[in-house]
Amino acid sequence: MILLRLISWPYVRKHLLRSILTTAGIALGVALLVGMRTANDSVLRSFNDTVDRIAGKAQLQVSAGDAGVAEDVLERVQAAPEVSAAAPVIETSVETGLAGQGKMLVLAVDMTGDRSLRNYDFDGGDEDVIDDPLVFLAQPDSLIITREFADRNGLRTGSKVSFETMEGARQFTVRGILKAGGMAAAFGGNLGIMDIYAAQQVFGRGRRFDRIDIGLAEGVSIEAGTAALQRALGGGYEIEPPSGRGKQFESLLRIYNTAVSISSLFSLFIGMFIIYNSFAIAVTQRRAEIGILRALGATRGQIRALFLGESAVAGLIGSTAGLGAGLAFARSLTGVTGRLMENIFGVPQNAQEVSLDPRFLVGALALGVVVSMIAAYIPARSAARVEPVQALQKGRYQVLGAGENRARRWAAAACVALGLACLWAGAYRPLAFAGYSLTVAAMLLLAPFLSLELARALRGPLRRFKPIEGSLAVDSLIQAPRRTSATVAALMLSLALVIGQGGVARASYESIRGWVDTTLNPDLFITATENIASRGFRFPASMIPEVTKLPAIEETQPVRTARVQFRGKPVMLVAIDMESLGRRVRRIVVAGNIEEMNRRSAAGQAVILAENLANLEHLGLGDMVEIPTPRGGLRLPVAGVIRDYSNQLGSIFLDRKVYIREFQDDTVDLFRVYLRPGVAPEEGRRQIIEGLGSRRRMFVLLNRDVRDYVLGLTNQWLGMTRIQVIVAVLVAVLGIVNTLTVSISDRRRELGVLRAVGGLRAQIRGAVWLEAAAIGAIGLVLGLSAGAVVLYYELQVIQRDVGGMPLAYIYPLGVAATLIPIILGAALAAAIVPAEAAVRSSLVEALEYE
Amino acid sequence: MSERCIRRFGGALLLPLLIAPVLAQDARQIVEESQRRGRANSQRYEGSLEVTGANGKVSRKSWNYVRTGSYGNSKAIIRFTSPAEVKGVALLIVNHPDRASDQWMWTPAIGRDRRIALQDRSTRFFGTDFSFEDLEERDVDQYDYSMQGEEAVDGAPCWKIESRPRKGKTSQYTRSVVWIRKDNYVAARYENYIKDALARRLRQSRIENIQGIWTPRLLEMTDLRRNSRTALSFEKLEYNVPMNDNDFTVQALRREQ
Repeated sequence: MILLRLISWPYVRKHLLRSILTTAGIALGVALLVGMRTANDSVLRSFNDTVDRIAGKAQLQVSAGDAGVAEDVLERVQAAPEVSAAAPVIETSVETGLAGQGKMLVLAVDMTGDRSLRNYDFDGGDEDVIDDPLVFLAQPDSLIITREFADRNGLRTGSKVSFETMEGARQFTVRGILKAGGMAAAFGGNLGIMDIYAAQQVFGRGRRFDRIDIGLAEGVSIEAGTAALQRALGGGYEIEPPSGRGKQFESLLRIYNTAVSISSLFSLFIGMFIIYNSFAIAVTQRRAEIGILRALGATRGQIRALFLGESAVAGLIGSTAGLGAGLAFARSLTGVTGRLMENIFGVPQNAQEVSLDPRFLVGALALGVVVSMIAAYIPARSAARVEPVQALQKGRYQVLGAGENRARRWAAAACVALGLACLWAGAYRPLAFAGYSLTVAAMLLLAPFLSLELARALRGPLRRFKPIEGSLAVDSLIQAPRRTSATVAALMLSLALVIGQGGVARASYESIRGWVDTTLNPDLFITATENIASRGFRFPASMIPEVTKLPAIEETQPVRTARVQFRGKPVMLVAIDMESLGRRVRRIVVAGNIEEMNRRSAAGQAVILAENLANLEHLGLGDMVEIPTPRGGLRLPVAGVIRDYSNQLGSIFLDRKVYIREFQDDTVDLFRVYLRPGVAPEEGRRQIIEGLGSRRRMFVLLNRDVRDYVLGLTNQWLGMTRIQVIVAVLVAVLGIVNTLTVSISDRRRELGVLRAVGGLRAQIRGAVWLEAAAIGAIGLVLGLSAGAVVLYYELQVIQRDVGGMPLAYIYPLGVAATLIPIILGAALAAAIVPAEAAVRSSLVEALEYE
Repeated sequence: MSERCIRRFGGALLLPLLIAPVLAQDARQIVEESQRRGRANSQRYEGSLEVTGANGKVSRKSWNYVRTGSYGNSKAIIRFTSPAEVKGVALLIVNHPDRASDQWMWTPAIGRDRRIALQDRSTRFFGTDFSFEDLEERDVDQYDYSMQGEEAVDGAPCWKIESRPRKGKTSQYTRSVVWIRKDNYVAARYENYIKDALARRLRQSRIENIQGIWTPRLLEMTDLRRNSRTALSFEKLEYNVPMNDNDFTVQALRREQ
């Protein structure tokens, strides 16, 4: 502590800017990690909070994925002696149409039996607010809202609230107001309660419920209750505690979370290089100081501890700042992430508040400190090895010994060889990740050597461009490879990340666009919700002939998409007329014969799998697929595998007849509409809206609308990861500023001599700028090259472990071309302050330096 | 409205107790005799309900009631006639001697019937001061009775009898006290206690002899915790009217709007 105060603090004060920049590297990494993760956690917690609050005393829930459960299942559940209360539920979200209020989560229940499970704490006693419970049940427009929602919108009992239903916009009458807190706090207070049988009608559920909430009889355990219900209902239902819904949502978020975590950690990794760079330089600058300390009796351990202590303090300050920035970042990101998740997965979200996980925050703080100390370990060790005599010599420390370089190259070669071996045996997930890590390690090991070589290669062009300034700049880089290489490595890694992300974005976009072009070929789409992914509203089967008989329409394909549990994961079941689909859509076949798969699936004898599901679950032609259904389970072979990007966790294509038979659900989420030849899409849309639009809620989308929606969503998804790319570039720029600041500081005497012998300020300034540009150029060459490798691995990870989606390897040339001016510009901008410091410093002081 | 309601409205509370010579009887025998005298094969009436909340707000409803079948094995339909918001709402209750009744509700505005699952008997019956349990017919075998003495209600001498649920019988009430008139065996008053606190008081009045059955035509339930009151009155009451079993089905519930 005394050494920190007496030795370290004066140094920090003297190099305040660099110290700030150093800690900023860690701060940015931690901020990104905390911000993204907290935003994701907030969305998940908000969802879980809503689930918990509306679950009430329910211990179990019975559902059949998105297909819902038929009414008769309720009686079977209620008949089980292990069940004390069973209450059906429909849950959906609606647009309130009230300014600034967004969506309302509508919980539809049967009030005659639901109070056994949920506490409806009404304002002033239910008698005062629900004027008449019988009227509430008798009138389908009855709605209970929360006190919070009522106050926000100036509503009271008897007020009207309007929202869209399957029968068009309808007014609902407020017949009850829930007290604040408890259940009323679910979905941020935007909760509405209505009668379940009215909800069946207005949300197009037919005679089905979304799920049944269950309270168990006294003394019956969750396990015993689950087993009893499984016996009573058969195997086709999901029976799990309410928390299971949170887990399902979590598994939907898994892909996004993985992408966010990898990129965040990558950023922190880059921050580590900034720390390394700073400390490596600090050690060299303070050699004399270290030598004196050693001569005065300081042990190697004390010197090492001094630098590690400095790095711990820097890490702590950076992490603390990062925590604050991250939480501020999370505050603005939470709502955006929630909306994105809702658009992609169709799960209603109303995440407004940032929820903090103290354990994670402490962990992030500790991670920042540990990363900082790890980064400083090598410089600290070097400092500890300094001999007092050697400390008086200048220049030696910057030169990389031939032996050291050779050792690095051998180590890099070994890493590459091992990485390739891992890649070859990459079917085993840890090996694949080991291969990725080894390749990154090889890049890092080679970075100093390649930096040096590239600097030497730049000598000629720069000398031709500016003989004096170019020579000075390049010589500075060559003479101080340690100073340069860490910055170059950080820049290389960040650019590799940008290229990797950009490549994934490009590949995703191109792949999805290709799929959209081939698969989404109907002229029109009729949906019940503005969000295609949402299944909150459904059309009745009776609408099919109404659509088909319109003169403009040649053919329609009613589609029902229901999320079901398949091997413990919520995959999408796509029920459609497979004969019509096979005839109309030219699908990209991955495995199987197209005619054979169309014939067998249309006959209800087989299913077709999306490629990502087949990859993730290792399923192939002929393998049996078991889908849980209310009839006990459906077992069909795989007749084909096709490329499909409609769902991140994979889709199973099943003939609609089989779906209706197995799930007793004939509702429709979406109509794919093919118009007669010569009919303009706008005309077809007009006919549908005029023919059917007045009777029910619907959205008629042109093909280009859906294409734009899907591709827009893809862009939105990828846009979230681009935030990390921006931060990665920022971290790298910090590194350049840091390096140049140190470079100027190191060369004060040299620059002072130059100015003393007649060197012009413009020449000094030019040399610094060229040095910065050279660092940027070297980083660009290495980063853009490393990016090619990183992209390959990222695509492998996406295909094998995360999404199962094979994406074409397309090097993002556009991104690379954009990066060149950005990085060179950033490098030059980063050089302004150090360059001005170099030319404006006192000549006398500079000559006295060291 | 539930089976328990109908049992109560159409059974124990509505069926008058015949006057009979009573010799030295114990508490249980008096309660049994009270129930026996009120039985009829069928029943029909027009009921009206007035709920006065703690804040003085009054809501009214009226309905037609029909019941067929023997005590404990009956079917009943309640069809609301006013106010307009609940007009046409109907309840079918099918009682079983060996298990809980089945109940369906028809809501014409939605155009469908629903099965009612009553899982918490202590909850209030559609906003009235009666709980679903209050409307159940009491099985005398599930309670222990003790004579608490004699006391006059509205000037009529009564036996004052305390009942406590036996072990195995679940009830929201710790104990109940009933005043049974000596002259006609009609219960004139009930007081229901939760722990030691009086929770609800039921007063039965306007007792008339209808077709040989002494029947209270006004029931007033007071919820002392909520400070609210529900008055229930019966008009055009008839017993042993010819009924068709087919009129007591879910189909009939939908048909007869």
